[in-house]
Order: sequence, then structure tokens, then C-alpha cells
Amino acid sequence: MSAPNRNRLTSGGLIDRAKSLGFSFDGTSYQGYEGDTLASALLANGVRLVGRSFKYHRPRGIVAAGAEEPNALVELRSGARREPNTRATVTELYDGLVASSQNRWPSLAFDALSLNRFLSPFLGAGFYYKTFMWPAAFWEKLYEPIIRRAAGLGRAAEEADPDHYEKATAFCDLLVIGAGPAGLMAALTAARSGARVILADEDFLPGGGLNAEAGDIDRRPAPAFAAHVVAELTSLPNVRVMRRTTVFGVYDSGTYGALERVSDHLPEPLPFQPRQRLWRLIARRAVLAAGATERPIVFGGNDRPGVMLAGAVGTYVQRHAVLPGQKIALFANNDGAWREMLAAQAAGAPVETIIDVRAEVAPALVAAARAEGLRVLTGAQVIATAGKTLTGLTVATPSGTERIAADTLAVSGGWSPAVHLTCHHGGKPMWDAGLAAFVPGTCPPGLSVAGAARGIFGLGACLKDGAAMGAEAAEALGFTVPAPDVPEVADAAFALTPFWHVEGSKGPAFVDLQNDVTAKDVGIAHKEGFRSVELLKRYTTLGMATDQGRTSNVTGLAIMASLTGASIPETGTTIFRPPYTPVSLGALAGHHRGKDFRPVRLTPTHEWARAQGAVFIETGAWLRAQYFPRKGEKDWLETVSREVTAVRASVGLIDVSTFGKIDLQGADVGAFLDRVYINGFAGLAVGKARYGVMLREDGMVMDDGTTARLSPEHYVMTTTTANAAKVFQHLEFCLQVLWPELDVALSSVSEQWAQIALAGPRARDVLARVADGDVSNAALPFMGAIECTVMGGVKARLFRLSFSGELGYEIAVPARHGAALAAALMQAGEEFGITPYGIEALGVMRIEKGHVSGNELSGQTTAGDLGFGRMASTKKDYIGRVMAARPGLTDPERPCFVGFRPVDRSRRLRAGAHFLKLGAAPTLANDQGYMTSVAYSPHLRHWIGLGLIKRGPERLGERVRAYDPVRGEEIEVEICAPGFIDPEGVRLRG
Amino acid sequence: MADHSSHDPLAGIPFDRVPPSGRYGAAGEPGVTVSTTDTPFIALVVARNGFAASVAARLGRAFGVEVADRAGAAISAASTVVGTGPGRFLVLSTIEPDLEGTLRALLGAEAAVSEQSDASVAFNLTGEKVPDLLAKGALIDLDPRVFLPGHAATTVIAHIGVTLWRVHESGWRLLVARSFEASFTRFLVASGAEFGLALENGTAGRG
Amino acid sequence: MRIPCPYCGERDAHEFATLGDATLTRPDPAAADADAQFHDYVYLRDNPAGAHEEWWYHANGCRQWLRVARDTRTHAISGAVAARATEQASGEPA
Ligand SMILES: [Zn+2]
Repeated sequence: MSAPNRNRLTSGGLIDRAKSLGFSFDGTSYQGYEGDTLASALLANGVRLVGRSFKYHRPRGIVAAGAEEPNALVELRSGARREPNTRATVTELYDGLVASSQNRWPSLAFDALSLNRFLSPFLGAGFYYKTFMWPAAFWEKLYEPIIRRAAGLGRAAEEADPDHYEKATAFCDLLVIGAGPAGLMAALTAARSGARVILADEDFLPGGGLNAEAGDIDRRPAPAFAAHVVAELTSLPNVRVMRRTTVFGVYDSGTYGALERVSDHLPEPLPFQPRQRLWRLIARRAVLAAGATERPIVFGGNDRPGVMLAGAVGTYVQRHAVLPGQKIALFANNDGAWREMLAAQAAGAPVETIIDVRAEVAPALVAAARAEGLRVLTGAQVIATAGKTLTGLTVATPSGTERIAADTLAVSGGWSPAVHLTCHHGGKPMWDAGLAAFVPGTCPPGLSVAGAARGIFGLGACLKDGAAMGAEAAEALGFTVPAPDVPEVADAAFALTPFWHVEGSKGPAFVDLQNDVTAKDVGIAHKEGFRSVELLKRYTTLGMATDQGRTSNVTGLAIMASLTGASIPETGTTIFRPPYTPVSLGALAGHHRGKDFRPVRLTPTHEWARAQGAVFIETGAWLRAQYFPRKGEKDWLETVSREVTAVRASVGLIDVSTFGKIDLQGADVGAFLDRVYINGFAGLAVGKARYGVMLREDGMVMDDGTTARLSPEHYVMTTTTANAAKVFQHLEFCLQVLWPELDVALSSVSEQWAQIALAGPRARDVLARVADGDVSNAALPFMGAIECTVMGGVKARLFRLSFSGELGYEIAVPARHGAALAAALMQAGEEFGITPYGIEALGVMRIEKGHVSGNELSGQTTAGDLGFGRMASTKKDYIGRVMAARPGLTDPERPCFVGFRPVDRSRRLRAGAHFLKLGAAPTLANDQGYMTSVAYSPHLRHWIGLGLIKRGPERLGERVRAYDPVRGEEIEVEICAPGFIDPEGVRLRG
Repeated sequence: MADHSSHDPLAGIPFDRVPPSGRYGAAGEPGVTVSTTDTPFIALVVARNGFAASVAARLGRAFGVEVADRAGAAISAASTVVGTGPGRFLVLSTIEPDLEGTLRALLGAEAAVSEQSDASVAFNLTGEKVPDLLAKGALIDLDPRVFLPGHAATTVIAHIGVTLWRVHESGWRLLVARSFEASFTRFLVASGAEFGLALENGTAGRG
Repeated sequence: MRIPCPYCGERDAHEFATLGDATLTRPDPAAADADAQFHDYVYLRDNPAGAHEEWWYHANGCRQWLRVARDTRTHAISGAVAARATEQASGEPA
């Protein structure tokens, strides 16, 4: 290990030299300081080679100092917390950090696959597409395995993520995105007006460019000025300063997505802290002050470790007190980069040479550079580089070619405003020829842009613009804004000559370092006709992956423009979409993962059922008892058959609280029910319930259920479990939109009542022991509905209904008494061997009885299809009546509801099997319908089915084939009436 | 919540069981205290066509509070009237066992009344961190400087429907459908763990 | 997207269910050409690019059906009124 921090300046920077942090990279231990990023700490330790490139495995170093980093992607942490493709430039250093380089094999220094460069003819532009044109067998056996190993980035963790993530929402008047000079002034100005302000910044140290600024502001060093403003903001109750928080997307109605990295700067989250928090920020206005991203100049060998962005060199020197190298040269086309280097040099960086493509540079600047002992080459271009990590440059000057020794080349091709968020509503950036950059076009409603993000590059101007934008936003929201006090900073003139690509330079010239896309690839795309930017992006992969082309998009576009001869604005720009930076899936899920993926609903008897040994199953949001296995039963079928037999022989109970229950009160309820059910309800007597079928307006069945009339103006409706919410919504639509004149008040009482179905020949005997009053056949006849009490005074509603075909009741009690009612029924039924049953047995019994259920109410069946045709009233209008009369819905050829039994009674039936006439070929044209539900009937001791078949009721006794190609089965079945048990309904009326 | 987190406050608690009474998450003074041990009598009043204003006025007179036909909570010592929709009021009382009967007598043909005492679980949340906890599930502005005592909302928290109102400076009340009690309590525990959460719901406490 | 509910205030769209075009009127089922009219009402829905009026049901809020004016291109919402608000204006006692 070399001398720790050998490239660290002895003073300056925003690091705490008293807080040393140990970390390791590729197994070697190093020291950094609090305030470092992983990238700055690596550079401080002289580590310059940090990864291998995506396709060609070329050695790569650190290029940038922020989120735009294309190269320095590492695997951070280990085991279950291993995270690939982490940008070292935004990874806050912590004690014990473990990182490793990725995409290298067997080691970073020696990579066998760097031979990929010999494969490069195959991996160039369009390689994804061309590869698929190779012989298919080659692809699977040869190329895919090789390319998978060769091209790619990091490895994801193989274990489940041990950390906790969460989501949260916050509201504000003004959201300020970015805490650089413009953002800080925008936030401060608006905050002083009393507006609720959220200031979000992706860095761990707010200040943005101020933290790398050498000069003073308001008689304070720039970083201290930033800290001072942040302190005032933090002290205000109406301001929330969110550090380590990236606003990644702009959504509708002033909603912004942001990711707060709560614990990523720690070895692992503190107890009970999330790792990351996904914020939904809802802002009446927003000011985007995201700054600008420097872009490189493309030249041969520009990917060699040691070639960096000029601003990054400045940031490492000023903010982290790190010298990226010992011999620094600049290659630029603008004055700003010169000033950056002069400031770095003043801070102690060994800057030696300035190479500028411009023939003419402001004499004062040239003089200043020379006064500091720098060599200045104007009208010059870097045409080649040398060294595994950079050792030297070849420079073409007006007087010839020369070699210059340098271990660091700072490059600046100008700055691109960070317009990304302005595009999230489809706005297109506009080309500003003076700046040679895209500036924001039409912004999302409520969003304005301040400072460098809209092409204002002077520090003094950014401070002023931020204050003005903050004031404008607050005033627009009705706040009275005190006159902003903006420190005066004199700005030098902006001077830049657009320059993109050194043509004729030696070696591959990379446009997109992250995707290994070269200037030559752009040329190939052009030659092959992929000239629109969207095609260029997809064909070459330029601008994809974690950096989304921050440093490469404009350069790629400029090179394409020069090839087509069109201007840059004519060539276009790619559309930026969310997210601005990568967002982990864990953060998007938050609390809702695993069993908490979505809320579950528990029935009032859930704990009671668990104690009875129930196996539960999800049905929609509900968790219901599926069956109640007993010791010694070999499978679910044995259990379910035992439950069915017990009910048919004696008595059983099941929780049916999951049905939707809707309370209807008012003078017009009867009339209303007549309009929503196909059958008549106006004549329903008090104390009676009636089965009803509801259609959608298009004539298809929507739901079925019973409605009981409790008193002249009070009814209660039950819906199926699945459609409870849908039916309520439908009824509200009818009442609020279609017939507001009707006097009907709706209330959901689904959660108020626990409801238990009691079924079997002994049901009345059991009920009589639990009910406080008379439940005889006379007092509570079939389809009777009464309000009474049970268990010695508990309010109850009794409905004599049956889904099983047996004598049956549904007993409703206030939900808190549900479990007690189940227990009381068990006790009362003990002598009859009362049996709790689950929804499987319920399903078997309804199939035996021939009742339709969810499988038949598929949304594609009419009342006629299901055998309810005669129920439909002809004396009234109801929802769906007109459309149900369409020829297609009344066609006698439609598949209709009937029963099926296997001709060979030992055979098992399968739901989903399609019916074919005997001897007919299995073609779509010969399809007769399909099996909707099947069950093993313990009563009949063979499988039975329900289904829909053409002209079904006319074909009772006919044999057809049930064809199930999915399972490879084919069974001869006989069509029968759908009621397999007690078709006359003697049992339920008994 | 991950199954393997070293600091999973829900570790070992089945997802289909209400987490038991006890302390969860960070040690020290709890930032949030959750209690479901108060079980008020509850009824829903739905004004029949044209009677919303009259029903509001009658409820106000009967319970000694200012009731308007809007999303707000009118709170007195023994009762609360919460607007949940136009002409829809949830009435809570600690002293009227036959609340449904009382309201029917009071409102006659002007409103439909339904018993709802068992339909929901009433969560009382107290503590300085309540708004921060609820912000992890709610999509409405619960900033204590905006959502004042007496404000009410019927909305969604963590995909579960709730009616909530702010009772006083640091006290909030939420009505959650009974079937969602376990899932909602899990959300509260997971989201409140960072502040320290004390839960009291009448179940056997955990050590 | 956030919908300004006249009763609840501005709410996230996920509290709502939508039913599309709010400019249609359910035809008179007794009309001679009721079948043709219902066919239009049920199936022939316009899909304008721009200003549109839609039904949104505040399922997880006040349970009102709202007539929401929305621009389908930008999701900008210019207003929302309760379905019943206009209907009841005449019937509501003063
Ligand atoms: Zn609403």
C-alpha cells in the first residue's frame, strides 16, 4: 500500500482531517476523510484505474465528480447488501466501506477480456441487432454465453435485500430542486415570505458549485456562504431542507418524485431507519436549479484513466483537497475552464499546460496563465494519449505535432444545462447557439428554472436569478416577498467556441464512455441510415444506462449533425424521461413487500378459524378459511368431501362475512331495486328476501345476490365478495347521476355485520338453541328475513337462505360478536357433529346444487345464458334491458348454462375444457363452449361439472367431448340439468 | 418489511394477526402512542334528499357542537360528528349505547341511520411524530400547521381507507374498517418504529 | 394526477374510479329507437385529444360522482363538480 492520502493537499477543502475513515477497494485498504466521496478518496490515494468498460473491457478511471459519472461504477458492499453500478463519485465515504471494481476478469489490472477489442467489429454500433441475425443455434450456444460474460456491468446481490425502505409524502408551496447558488437564493427568498419551502439537494453537503468555488461571497468563502444560508433555512419552521435527496421525476398536478438516501452513507442503516425513502413531493410551484453538466471533447484515447472533466478536477482540488494528478494539462474550448484551472493551480494543483482549440483567446486570460508559469497552446488539439493510465499526450499545434507529458488531462467542451426535469411533460429543450447548449423549452406547469440550469453561467448572475425566481414563485402564490438581498459577485464574460470532436485523432474516440460508443459508431449509424436521434440512441446504445448520456448526448448529436450537414437543433435532442437518476425497486415498494405487498382483510372469525385448524386462502383482498383439515386426512379432497358430507348429513357452518352488504333506506328503494335488478322487487314483503340478478348497461350479468326488506323503507342487499365495491359504486352512479330524484340513501354495512351461514338438515335445531326467539318454519319460512336477538340479547338479523341446497340460514351479528357466534353455534351443534367448512366445500355444494358463481359471472354471460331468462321482468325497465335484447345476446346458438357428468364415472373433470361434438375435430369453428366449474361430488361419488354449451338446455342427455389440450386430456361427458342434488328444492324448504 | 432485517419491528408476528400491545422500534420516549382500547358507539347518518343542512343543524343542537355539511369533526366531551361526504355524518358517542335508536328518533324521515359501532376500529394516535408517521401512508396534507384540530378527511393510508380527524394539538383519531386492523397496525408499527411506538390494543402485551 | 373534489379538496387520482365520458345522457329506454340509442351510448365513445368531461367516483373519499373537466393531452384539470350539485339545486329547500 502506498502512502495514505499522498495526493491530498495539507490544507483547505471541505473535509475533516481529524475524522479518518478506513475503506477498501478491490481488497486493498485505504484511508479517506469525512467529507470525501469514494472517488475523491480513491484519487487521494493515487488509485486511478477503477473499472473496465462495458463492451471492450478497456481500463477506465474517474471522469466526473457528480451524478454524471459514466465510468467509475463499482460494486458497493457485499453479500445481501451488494449493490452493482454504484457511482463512486456520489458515494459518500464511510468508515468500513467495501467496494470492488466490476466487469473485470480475472483482475482489474489484467483483464483477459480486454481482448474484446479484437471482437470490436462485432460489438460496434447495432451489435444487439446484428447479433440476432447470426445463425440461431450459434446465438444460444456460443455467442450469448460469451457476450454475457464479456459485455455487462455489475452483479446484483443474490440474497433478499435485508433493508427496509419506505415511502412518504410532503406538501409545500415551493419546491426548490438543487441547493447551489441559484437554488439557495430561490429557497431563501421564498422562505422569508413565509411560504412553505422544500429544498432538495442530491449532495450530502448542500451548496452545489459553491462548495468548489474558490472566491468569496459576502466576505465569506463561498462554501461558508452556502453553509450560512443553509443554516438560516434550517432554522425556519416553514422550510424543510432535504439532503441526499434527488428529485428524479415531474408528474402530474405538481407531483414530484424524490429519493432520499437516508442510510447509504452508513455501513448499514441505523436500527429502525430505512435505507432509502421515496418521497412524493406535492408542490404548488417549483424552481429547478439543478445546475449544468460539463461535457467533454471527443478525441482518440479520450477514455484513458487520467482524462477527466475540467470542473471535476476543480471540484476535487477545491472541495476535497485532492490532486487528481501531478502533471495536469487542460484541453478546452472556453474561458471558464481556464479560470477553473487557474483557481486549482492557486490552490496548489500542478497545472502545467493549457491546450485550447481556439486560435484566439482573450489576451488577459493568456497573460494570467503565463504569469502563473503555465504553458499555453492555442489553436491546438489533443490527437492521441499514451499510457495504461495517462502518461502523455500528442498535441497538434499550428506549428506541428508535439508530445506533452501529463498524468491528468482536464477536458472541457462547455456546459449543458441540466434540463432533464423540464422535459418530463414532453417539453423539448431549445438550442441556444450563443451558449452552444440546449436550454429549457416548455416546462411542466408550475415549474420554472433558475441559474445554470437555464444557461446562466456566472455565479453572480445565478445568485440573482435564483432570488428572482424564488420571489416570482412566492408572489404568484400570494405571498408578500421582502426585497431579496443578493450578494454582489462580478462575473467574467462567457466565452466559448463550439467544438466537439477531434477528427483524425488516433485510437478509438469515445462519445459515450459508459456504453463504449465511439465517434466511429456514430458514423456507422449515419451510414446505415439510423440518423434520427431516437434511432441513433437505440442503434448504438448512446445515452443509455445509469448516466443516461449526461456527458455524451449533446456531443453525439453534434457529431451526427456534422455528418448529416444539418444543424444541431435540426438534428434534435433525445427526450429525457423519469427517473433522472436510478431509483431502487425497494424504494418504489416501500413497506409493501412480501406479505405486506397489499393489505389483507381478515374475517371476524379469523382467529376462531385458525384455532379450528383452518387453512387460509386469499380471495381478493380477503383471507378466508379454505378448509379445516383433520389429523389423518391424506389430502384436501378428503377433507373437503368430509365437510360436504357432514353438512348434507347433519349441519355445518361457514363465515360469509365477506359478502358485500349494502343498507338501503328511503321511500323509493323498491322502485330503485326494480331498476337495477332484472326481476321485480317492488312487491317484496317486509320480512322477506329475494334473489336478484343485476346487469351492466351492455346487457351482461354484473352480479347476483339477495336483498331483504327489513321494514317498509329499509332494505339490505348482499353482493358477491368480489363485486362488493363495484356494485356499491354502480348503485351510487344510478342514484347520483341517472336518477337523483329517487329517495334512496345508501350505506355500506359490510364491515358492521359478521355473517355466518348455517346449513344442513339440523340447521334449525342448532339455530333454535342460539336464537332468542322463534325460528320455526312458520316464524322464519324459506326466504324469510327477520331482525331479532341471539345469544341472550345480541342484536341479529336472520335470513333463511341457502347456497348449498340444504336447509340454510345466514345469521348476522355485529362484527365483534362474530367469533362468539361461531363458538356458540359449535357448542349448540355439538350433538349433531356440527362441522366448520371452508370455501372449497361451499364451492362443491353450490356446484352440486347448480348455482352460478364467479366462474359463470364472467362478464361475458347474459341472464339468458345462465338460465335466468324467465326471471327477467317484462313489465318494467331495468339497467341492461335494452342491450340484452340485441340479436347477438339472444341468439339461441349462444352457449348456455347446464351440468355435465363424465360418461366413465371414474374420470376426473377439468374446468376450462372445451366442448366438442363427438367426432368433431378440435378447431375453433367446432368449439361448443367450455366447462366453467368442476367438483368431486361426495354425494354422487363422482366428478361433476357446470359449463356453457350451445343450446345446452335443449341437449340434456347428449354426449360430447370435454377437450383439454393444456393438460392433454379428453373426456366424454353427458349434458344434464345443472342441479345434481335435490333439484326440486325440497331440502331447503323443509 | 424484509423478513431478514436485523431491526424488523414486525419480526415473528404473523401477517394475519394484529400485532400485540407493546413497545416497538427505537427505545426511549415513544414518538407515537397508538391505542385502540376506546370503542365508541358509532352510527352513520345519511341525509335524505334535500335534508343535509337540516340534519347538520339537528345533530349540532343534539350534541352541543357546531356541525356543518363539510369534511370536519365537531368534537364535544362525549361525542363527535364527522362529515364524510355531502349529507353524510359519522356520529361517535361514548355514552349512547343505542346511538342508532337515538339518531332515528332525532332525525326521523330526514335521514337514514345505520349502526356502525362494529364496522371500524378507532385508532387514537398521540405524540409529536404522528404527522410524520401518517405521511408515510397518506397522500393528503397533514402538516400540523395546515391540518388543524377539527379538520377531518376520508382518504387512503397505505392502501387502506380511513376517516381521520385531528382531535387536539397532538391527538389524532382514525377509523379503519375492522377487517383491515391487522394490516393497518402493521403499517403503523413498521412506519412508527423509527420514532419508537407504543401500542395498546388490549391484546396480551409482548415483553 | 390530483383531482379537486368539491367536498374533500384536492386528492390523488388513485382515490377515484373513472367511468369516462360525462357528456352522454342515458337514452330513454321507451324510445322507438332505444336499441340504436343505447348502442351509441354504451359503445360509441369519443376519445377527444384535448378538453374532456369525465365521470370520476371518489371511492376512497366522499363517495361522490364528480364531473371532471380534464385535458386528455396534459392531464390539466380545470374543474370538478358533483353530479348531484346541479340536479339538487332546484329541489334543495332554501
Ligand atoms: Zn371527495
